[in-house]
Amino acid sequence: MTNTDGYEEHDIVVQLTDVRKDFGDYAALDGVSLEIGAGESVAVMGPSGSGKSTLLNMVSGLDRPTSGSVLVGGEDLVGLSEKGLALFRRRRIGMIFQFFNLLDDLPALDNIALAGQLVGQKASTARKRASELMGELGIADRKDIHPASLSGGERQRVATARALMNRPALLLADEPTGALDSRSGDQVMQLLMDLNGLGQTLLIVTHDPRLAAQCARRVVEVADGRIARDRSVNHAVATKAAR
Amino acid sequence: MSAVWRASRAAVKRRRLQTFVLGVVVLVSSAMAVATLGLLAAVSGPFDQAYSAARGAHVVAEFDSSKATAAQIVHAANAPEVEAVAGPYPEAVLHSPSETGDHPAGLPGSFTLVGRDRPDTPVDTLVLSAGRWATGPGEIVMNEPSYIGPMQIKSEHEVVTPDGVRLKIVGYAASASQSAGGWVTPDQARALHSASLQMMYRFRDAGSDAALKAGTAAATQGLPSDALTGTSTYLAIKANLAKGPNTYVPFLTVFGVLGLIVSVLIVGNVVSGAVVSGFRHIGVLKALGFTPNQVTAVYLVMVTFPAVIGCALGSVIGSLVGGKLVRQAFFGIFGSDLVLDRAAVPTWVHPVVLIGMPVLVALSALIPAMRARRLPAAVAISAGSVQQTGRGPMVQRRLGGSRLPRPVSLGLGWPFARPGRTALTLSTVVLGVMTVTMALGISASVVRFGQLQNQTDRIQVRIDLSDPQWNPPGPTHSDDQVFALLRSLPGTAHVSAQSALETRMTGSSAILRVGVESGDTAQLHPDLVRGRWIEGPNEVVVSSEFWHRHKVSLGDTITLDSSDGPQPQKIVGEIVGGWDVTTLDWHRFIPLSPVRRAQSFSVQLTKGTDPQAYAAAVARTDPGLNAAVNNASDTIEKVIISVVSTLTVMLIIVSGLGVFNTVVLNTRERRKDLGMLKSIGMTPRQVIAMVVTSVAALGAVGGIVGAPLGILAHRIIIPMTGRGTGLDLPDSLLHVWNWPTVALLAFSGSVIAVLGAYLPARGAAKAPVAEVLRTE
Ligand SMILES: Nc1ncnc2c1ncn2[C@@H]1O[C@H](COP(=O)(O)OP(=O)(O)O)[C@@H](O)[C@H]1O
Ligand SMILES: [Mg+2]
Repeated sequence: MTNTDGYEEHDIVVQLTDVRKDFGDYAALDGVSLEIGAGESVAVMGPSGSGKSTLLNMVSGLDRPTSGSVLVGGEDLVGLSEKGLALFRRRRIGMIFQFFNLLDDLPALDNIALAGQLVGQKASTARKRASELMGELGIADRKDIHPASLSGGERQRVATARALMNRPALLLADEPTGALDSRSGDQVMQLLMDLNGLGQTLLIVTHDPRLAAQCARRVVEVADGRIARDRSVNHAVATKAAR
Repeated sequence: MSAVWRASRAAVKRRRLQTFVLGVVVLVSSAMAVATLGLLAAVSGPFDQAYSAARGAHVVAEFDSSKATAAQIVHAANAPEVEAVAGPYPEAVLHSPSETGDHPAGLPGSFTLVGRDRPDTPVDTLVLSAGRWATGPGEIVMNEPSYIGPMQIKSEHEVVTPDGVRLKIVGYAASASQSAGGWVTPDQARALHSASLQMMYRFRDAGSDAALKAGTAAATQGLPSDALTGTSTYLAIKANLAKGPNTYVPFLTVFGVLGLIVSVLIVGNVVSGAVVSGFRHIGVLKALGFTPNQVTAVYLVMVTFPAVIGCALGSVIGSLVGGKLVRQAFFGIFGSDLVLDRAAVPTWVHPVVLIGMPVLVALSALIPAMRARRLPAAVAISAGSVQQTGRGPMVQRRLGGSRLPRPVSLGLGWPFARPGRTALTLSTVVLGVMTVTMALGISASVVRFGQLQNQTDRIQVRIDLSDPQWNPPGPTHSDDQVFALLRSLPGTAHVSAQSALETRMTGSSAILRVGVESGDTAQLHPDLVRGRWIEGPNEVVVSSEFWHRHKVSLGDTITLDSSDGPQPQKIVGEIVGGWDVTTLDWHRFIPLSPVRRAQSFSVQLTKGTDPQAYAAAVARTDPGLNAAVNNASDTIEKVIISVVSTLTVMLIIVSGLGVFNTVVLNTRERRKDLGMLKSIGMTPRQVIAMVVTSVAALGAVGGIVGAPLGILAHRIIIPMTGRGTGLDLPDSLLHVWNWPTVALLAFSGSVIAVLGAYLPARGAAKAPVAEVLRTE
């Protein structure tokens, strides 16, 4: 199988096989199988409550499946301890949330550096890299500003920089534009697309078809805990159609 | 009001954990308050009531019947200060009386007999516990405190005077005023060479020593100046009785006050935490149309509810513990039979605590609750998590750049985000450490006091001689033979012999306990608080109790009744405990002792001798010698130490709960932060490290501040206890500290903090994160 850009699928980053997740009697995920290759940019779409976040939590190891297997970067998450999952997240993935989840009492730079310090980098090393990332993401002048004084778009850039600190194999984003106005939302999406252009594998959850079409080359539609459709989109055409 | 009620009930339900913490804290402090107040009340209340009920004499006076007549004494007593009198009654003193009949009670060497025609006098009203009053010659009624147990009249029980007069025991009565050893008819007393008259007074004002002195002066005005030969006051009896509870009162008070302060701190912290974390809740209440007063009321009711329950349970526990403590405190003290039945925790304590504690809780909740009241609804609804105030950000920046592992440096920053909460938590830890320090100090002092009293440092074996009356046949060796025997045993360094007896001192009608010693007392005598040990004839040392009761000084002369009649004795020293007076004048005093010989021997062993083996060797030579290794610690020490440890454990729990509460509040407020940190790869262990670090620093500071405060409190409490019990305590009792201990105590703050933080930290580490991350 080849994706639209012709990447060979020998590097599989995510492999979900028949994943089920029950909350009590309710099946939030009802037998989901999904493969994502290195360098892909995948959007997960679907109505609210369909199981998108749950699916993402399976991939990030923030939650465990009731049954089925989850392989990310070759690691079997089902067999990992809490500590093992934490170490996995540190090294392999970066996460971006709808509500940013920045530490209010740290300035932007330290919020980003934090992720590096957690894997044992010295404060100066981590701050240096954080500073570079802020430059690349166009928020170089916001280093000493606390999250409370940043705009929504700026906060999400800080969150993105934090997610990129440890050069993750996979970047996960759950409704990254959900709390932003459409202009800031577009900018964040553009940023994610640019990252993908540099080879970053992306898995983005959104319920906005316009944004999905704009940035992803593959759209997975989820309904009632199942994958209803999995299609590749011609990026250029989709972008035009959305406009 | 029902809306407020419903909202508070919902708030209580949502905050089960904190409601529980509040309840426990209030319970512990209420229990301590009830027990302390009960004990304080027992020191004064029951005695005065019981003494008035028994119409006890405020002053018992003795007159020389050759200097003043009965008519003169009665006439002089006709003063306005005097409320009631009884007497005068002829009084005789028997030296070395004996008893007939089996199981005699053991008469003192010096026995006061009063000739009294009736028991139901207006002062010192006597109630017979057995038999009848003495109505004819050759009959006697014995004064037996009721705590000895019910007495039975037996036909063969007689008291025999030194002159051979036989007095048949026809009744038993207890005198609250301790006015006599026994009573006979006035004629019988005169027949026994009565030389003095006893007069008993109750005064209108008997509140102080000075009032009693003034009353006595007024009641004896016009009598020849040397007619009054001795007086004893009820305040001495009362002071003696108060010594029991007074042992506990100082530190119970301190512990009680500390407990209350800690409770107030914790309540304040819980409520401010509830207000802070409930900003949105407050906003919703206001949006629903709750008035500011109603919002305040919701928060007050929320804390008052667990406070009332905790307080009620605490009162019950406090009365049980307090009642037990009161009985324990009075146990075995002369005169305690007067108060024991009445010495429960007085009823007024309960309403005071039951109303006082919840009011205190509500007051400490008031300030944070007022904050909830002022909060505008819009701000409340939109309030974010931790606010940016004060030094928080700057400190965080510094910490972020430090070399510390990031979880540790993040945790260290938490206290700066909420300075108010940090201050309250810090105070809680300071008080906890202070308590631990103080408790250790008190226990160490008490143990040292016991060592001092038992002389465990210099006396290794004590030998009690069986009393042939109780354990026939008694020792086969005479005192001199026991001395020779012990000195011949290998390992003996020094030996001394002791015997106790009761006699009288001229100028006081109270019974005096005298210890007479012989042998190597120069080596084996107890430590002196003042003066020196006895070196010549007619010298004595006295106890601190005696010292203060009779207000004597070194070099004073007192006159004691001996078997040779009155003997002047010079006071050359003061010792902490022991008998009222200690003498080495064996031959003059030993005939006054019930057994007329040594009652015990003390032995110092040479280095390396096994006391156990030595005691066994002594026992083999004579079954009448009960030898035991001298390591006995007093029950009172054990009681004090167990009371102190119980209180300490309670306060540690309370201050641990304070920390626990703070950590619960912090982790709840930061649950999104914690979720994010986990999502970017913080391991459970790192989460625990971060949360524990957030209070461990507080604990360290609390320890460093609290330990010296505890040492200071110890320095204040021990002398206070000494004064309360009438003892002069040597300075060595205060020197119980060494550097490793103090360092360890300073460290105990961190221990309290980690204990309180561990559970919520683990909870935070385990909490699922997926949920919190996607909600605002
Ligand atoms: N922790 C949970 N406990 C119970 N039900 C949950 C939990 N998390 C999600 N659900 C339910 O699972 C379903 C899928 O949720 P989610 O994956 O968050 O949907 P979405 O597609 O909107 O992201 C929803 O019906 C939701 O109510
Ligand atoms: Mg979702």
